[in-house]
Amino acid sequence: MIVTAHYGRLRRLCRLLLGDAQEAEDVVQEVFLKGHEAESLGRAPLDWGAWLTRVAVNACRDRRRAGGWMRLRLRSTHVDDLPLVADTPAPSDVAIGEDTRRRIWAAFRTLPRRQQEVFALRYIEEQSTSDVALALGLSQGSVKRHLFRALRHLRGALEDAR
Amino acid sequence: MSPCLSDDALTRVHADLGSIAERAHLAACAACTARSRRMRGDLDLIAAVLRDTPEPVTRSAPVRAPRRWLPAAVGLSAAAAVLLVWVEVAVWRAVTPVPPSMQPQEVAAILSDVSASLFSLSGDPGSASAAEESPQSLEAMAREVDSTLTGAEP
Repeated sequence: MIVTAHYGRLRRLCRLLLGDAQEAEDVVQEVFLKGHEAESLGRAPLDWGAWLTRVAVNACRDRRRAGGWMRLRLRSTHVDDLPLVADTPAPSDVAIGEDTRRRIWAAFRTLPRRQQEVFALRYIEEQSTSDVALALGLSQGSVKRHLFRALRHLRGALEDAR
Repeated sequence: MSPCLSDDALTRVHADLGSIAERAHLAACAACTARSRRMRGDLDLIAAVLRDTPEPVTRSAPVRAPRRWLPAAVGLSAAAAVLLVWVEVAVWRAVTPVPPSMQPQEVAAILSDVSASLFSLSGDPGSASAAEESPQSLEAMAREVDSTLTGAEP
């Protein structure tokens, strides 16, 4: 039940933070394993969503810190990362445009790690500022400042693309 | 009425950092409200791209050229090792103290001492040597030899 409710969300979040589908899959499995352990030890959290998000963000942070996978990723592109070839472009791609999409992704990747996390949780996961602060172990003021810088940077990239 | 908000001020409002005055202006100004809506649309577009579209494939690292420099590097390393050994041996030889060589006179003196010790009649190399050098001793030795040969008392 918990897995069904949170699997897709966590996988998307981890993929966004790590930039690697295979790594994201590994991290999500690791997160659910920790959840299972916590439950079997009688330490099940009251709010599974917030708990899983916090553990996932920390796991992604650990992976990024380890850094080894990044070198592997730069050497070769995993087959899961390759976009599926479609006969016709998706409506969203037509509306946005390839160049804009690339610029947005590039701008996101150049954000500092903390700003990426804040933006992903606040705007993609649509969590409240207080939930983001709780998940990342930051004060709400710090979350807002990180978010402000991230928004300014990403909007700047979008303006440049126009 | 206060002047319209800057882009940074609008961004601050979207990041929940806007001041009371900025939010009040935004609520009252139609132009700023429209700009804020456009900004919200931009942010939603960015979020949608990051959420729904695959990340553009990063260009793979170019295939590495064959390492033509490898044999040269190995050769140079070997030459450097040989040079190092040679320098080590040469320096070692230069700094190692050689035993002082003896002068021929010293050798002769030592051999003379050895000879005197081995062939001394009195058993005292110093007295034997002195006896050989003194004429009186030579005469005494001659008399001793004579008496030995003739059987007479010296």
